[in-house]
Amino acid sequence: MQYEFLSRPAMTAAKLTLDAGESITCEVGAMIAMSRGFTVETTSRNKGGSGGFVKGLKRMFAGENFFLNHFTATNHAQSLIIGPAMLGDIIHYPMTGGTLVVQGSSWLASSSGVEIDATFQGIGKALFSGEGIFWVKCSGTGDLMLNSFGAIHCVEVNGEYVVDSGHIVAFEDTLEFHLGKAGKSLIGSFLGGEGLVCKFSGQGKLYFQSHNPPSFGKLLGPKLKPH
Amino acid sequence: MIQFECPSCQKRYQVGDELAGKQAKCRDCGQVMPIPAAAEVAEEDPVILASLAAPPSPRSSAKTLFGTTPELSYEISQRPDFALVSIKLQAGGKILSEPSAMVSMTPSVKLEAGLKGGLGKTFGKLLGGESMITNTFTAENESGEIMFAGGSAGDVAYQRLEGQTLYLQRGAYMLNTEGVEVTGKWQGAKGFFGGEGLVLLKASGVGDLFFNSYGAILEVDVKDGFIVDSGYIVAFEESLDYHVTVLPGLRTGGKIKSLFFGGEGLVCEFSGAGRVWIQTRQVRSFLSWSNAFRPAKSN
Repeated sequence: MQYEFLSRPAMTAAKLTLDAGESITCEVGAMIAMSRGFTVETTSRNKGGSGGFVKGLKRMFAGENFFLNHFTATNHAQSLIIGPAMLGDIIHYPMTGGTLVVQGSSWLASSSGVEIDATFQGIGKALFSGEGIFWVKCSGTGDLMLNSFGAIHCVEVNGEYVVDSGHIVAFEDTLEFHLGKAGKSLIGSFLGGEGLVCKFSGQGKLYFQSHNPPSFGKLLGPKLKPH
Repeated sequence: MIQFECPSCQKRYQVGDELAGKQAKCRDCGQVMPIPAAAEVAEEDPVILASLAAPPSPRSSAKTLFGTTPELSYEISQRPDFALVSIKLQAGGKILSEPSAMVSMTPSVKLEAGLKGGLGKTFGKLLGGESMITNTFTAENESGEIMFAGGSAGDVAYQRLEGQTLYLQRGAYMLNTEGVEVTGKWQGAKGFFGGEGLVLLKASGVGDLFFNSYGAILEVDVKDGFIVDSGYIVAFEESLDYHVTVLPGLRTGGKIKSLFFGGEGLVCEFSGAGRVWIQTRQVRSFLSWSNAFRPAKSN
């Protein structure tokens, strides 16, 4: 598969070129346009993989759709244009056997060699962070496309690093993480608006986004007509 | 090594120290810029070092569009995020726009608002998701300049019409010169099943046409057929045939699955030869996302 990013960085779309037999799994609704030579299959699990219903259910909790669309090229050099719902960027992450933990709404697409699994990190953590700490675990080999709300930034963590949980896009699972408070005291952290943050330790890549969808949502919410 | 960005398109370059102070031309957008002196990277700051070590990302290579036609000269800058259209008219020149698209203008330009082209056409435009009112800008005694922008963040595309016809999606219309006629066109069940309203706008004649979108606009020259999610179509040429369908592979027995679970809904399959303009984002997706943040009605 070849890929090209168009109209970066705020209105980014990814143009993927697939050869006959190659297959890509996308978030439902991600397809913008495509060549004629594709067949599309909608399932609740990885293509040809196991898991089925339970994994589908887990994905739904992870902020992803229950269903996945698999696009398989039936001819050579077929192109597929995909994009996320929100304004922001897309990056490519090559999977080489390691595991990447992706924030639920940041997963956009992956090639067929990548296994997607929603893992639940424990309800206590989710409640305290208030950001919906649900993650999609990606492993295997192949291509992974991640999207962000706003710009995307990569940090090679070596030691310790702190990120507001709503800004995390993805991190390599060689990094350990736990939730902590941003300031010295709990009250001070909340007054400062930072709430609880993710503290990473170890060595690995960490991707985060410049904007935080829940913060934007909270800004918009009061201005919208109640339902 | 010196690392710097093009001030115009943000493309990143890395050159040898010996080039400091020299002029360089951006490979993507043609901007001429001075190469800065080698920057010192503070070693005690691990975050800055790490971000430089990450592979440089290719930035948008979106270019400013410009040109001169018998009616006007135009420039579309700040693409694709915040497209801004500058129109220069000769004395006596005219341009028609959708209401509230005007950003600024020189004092020589006179604005007149009104119903254009009779009641039938006006009604057609209304059906096509556009306002009944058309604003006419005239550079009366001397040349003038007007700036226009779309209602949302996004892109603007330009097409010169020389007798061919273009169909525009609801709300995409922005500007046209007098020689172009913009009317609503009943698409019957075709448009209905596309989920995007019953009527497309039809633009034909000889002149200039500008249209806008939420998201960036991509131009695709169709030769061997092309499929576009109906919500992402901005415009297409009449020379293309289109029909509304479900995604291939879901056509037999899988229709319901595709429609309700697959989320891609119905798509437009184009065939023949011609150009399609597609947008990279949809207002509808953004709205359904923001819906989750609506407050509940209190009693």
